[in-house]
Amino acid sequence: MKKRIFNLLLLLTVNFVFLSCTKDIDFNQVNDFEVSPVIESSLIFLDEPANQFLEDGVEISTVQDSVLVNIFKDDFISEHLVKAEFVFETINSINRGVELRIDFLTDSNIQLHSFSFAVEPSTNNTPIMFNYTEVFEGSTLANFLETEKLLFTLSLQQGPAINDDTPGNIELKSKGVFFFNIDNTL
Amino acid sequence: MRRCAWFVILLVGVSYAQNKQILYGFTEIPQSLLQNPGGKISNDWYFGIPLLSHIHANGGSSGVTIYDLFAVDGENFNTKLERVVYSLKPTDFFTFNQQLEIVSGGFAFDPSYNKNQYISFGLYQEVDAIIYFPQDYAKLVYEGNQNNINRPFRLDHLNGTSELISVLHIGYNKVVNDKFTYGIRGKVYNSITNINSLNNKGTFITVNGDNNVYDHIFDLDLSLKTSGLVNLTTDSDFETKDITKQILFGGNLGLGVDLGFSYQINKQWYLDGSLLDIGFINHGKHVENYELKGNYVFEGINPIFPEVGSGQTADEYWTEIEQEFEDLFTIDTTKTKYTTWRPIKLNTSLNYTFGKRVSKECDCTFDDSGYLNRIGLQLYAVNRPKLPQVALTAYYYRRLLNGLSIKAAYTLDSYSFSNIGIGMSAQLGGINFYIMADNFLNFKNIYNAQSLSLQLGFNYIFTKDED
Repeated sequence: MKKRIFNLLLLLTVNFVFLSCTKDIDFNQVNDFEVSPVIESSLIFLDEPANQFLEDGVEISTVQDSVLVNIFKDDFISEHLVKAEFVFETINSINRGVELRIDFLTDSNIQLHSFSFAVEPSTNNTPIMFNYTEVFEGSTLANFLETEKLLFTLSLQQGPAINDDTPGNIELKSKGVFFFNIDNTL
Repeated sequence: MRRCAWFVILLVGVSYAQNKQILYGFTEIPQSLLQNPGGKISNDWYFGIPLLSHIHANGGSSGVTIYDLFAVDGENFNTKLERVVYSLKPTDFFTFNQQLEIVSGGFAFDPSYNKNQYISFGLYQEVDAIIYFPQDYAKLVYEGNQNNINRPFRLDHLNGTSELISVLHIGYNKVVNDKFTYGIRGKVYNSITNINSLNNKGTFITVNGDNNVYDHIFDLDLSLKTSGLVNLTTDSDFETKDITKQILFGGNLGLGVDLGFSYQINKQWYLDGSLLDIGFINHGKHVENYELKGNYVFEGINPIFPEVGSGQTADEYWTEIEQEFEDLFTIDTTKTKYTTWRPIKLNTSLNYTFGKRVSKECDCTFDDSGYLNRIGLQLYAVNRPKLPQVALTAYYYRRLLNGLSIKAAYTLDSYSFSNIGIGMSAQLGGINFYIMADNFLNFKNIYNAQSLSLQLGFNYIFTKDED
């Protein structure tokens, strides 16, 4: 009797082990994995009075400087960045138009991309706002990703000469909007 | 369409809590003494069939099932993933616990005729892992910071620990009188490998800035501690015998204790309880700790007029910022010793026995054979890194025949309110076999279970008054 029970139990166990069921699942679905985060980052900024364009009392209408960047050539970025935007907000209260030009260069100063925009002069020194967005997609994105050096040129457009008492400020804020697409090739 | 699977193999092999609600209080099974060293004992001596005496696997996921994500239902995987990512909370977890008894045994002794003392001992291997759902990290990967301006990403959402240990133990059980039994078990833990990241702090937040559009505020305090085997293979003078040494009590050692009792309230009611794994492990050998610590606020760069005041060029200024970032994200490696605490478990139960066996021949009851039925309530709690996990079980136990008993349990826990488990213990001659599993309601589709647990084993048991 006991032996029969024991066997029955073993049989039940075997059933339990092998006959419990599952519905169809497919782990390969993980291959469809895809996420699209959007990262925003502060870029450049400045907030300077008009007399910052003076050197030893003499107006310097163009100020230029460059930075070497290697972040755009980062593997993760070059593989997963699908679109980028540079968004600028400028406020000018100087009675001179102000232009910002950004050149995207290689190490050896070959130009890959360039854009510029200008904010109007403020004749009565009330703040004038101007927003500008540069979009990088397709071929411009490809050039963007090759960039090793950024050249910034800030120029004063024609107008009344700057002196120590010239009123007004030029203010610039900017951010980059980076659209990524990350899939299972990560 | 249905497909049947070798699910037990899957379960033992890859499944992911460690509540042994069916085994607890199942006195016919010697391994129930590991759930309560002060439990009742029904054998005179036993030994576990080596490597087969206790095979346990238990896995769970508090918020999601395999089926939720991988069902073949025509729905886009990313839609399902998104639903899962947004429904899980940072207190949701994935956990896995597995034990394999290598050897075990026990025997009763006492100078008096009623052998009121019992020694049990053994060696088992255990894997224990838990990882919480890192919600804010997932959101950052999923959305980026664009839609999360002014929202802090909490870095403490990354929290998890896993360990592989072997445990050598010896327990003492003493029946003090008809009412009271107590027990204590000493344990020596040998940690073969440990990985934990439990003390992460800090935030990453993007806020509207003063000088520029945003201030990106990094406040990072992340750490990962590892010891044992995981670091051995990277040593240049690594040899195979080092692994063997790690496994055979050459790893990082610790000590622990289990305590338990049983109290017979009256003829039919009794109460019992235990505290298991009150212990620690000291990690001093093969330790590698990684730390990422720092504060930085990035507001962009002022490339055109940076030289004002400092005389530096834009590139020098930028290089300085790059250096700041590099320092911020530099991982420091240390070999500082650390201590881990084992997850303490609490078990307690209140039980009522009833229904004496009636003899067909004389229509009378056997006085000495005890009651056939038992019902009870069990409470289980385990200390976990973020919050204790608690489970409440109601059970029915029945002795069907001599040597054959079953227990059915209904459990409410972190995973579900519909967990029904069944266990059986059978004895033929000296051989005892037991098997128990839970979440029976999900057996039609194992992949839709949030947790699964299985224990089985073979023992050789000798009971003097066995009929």
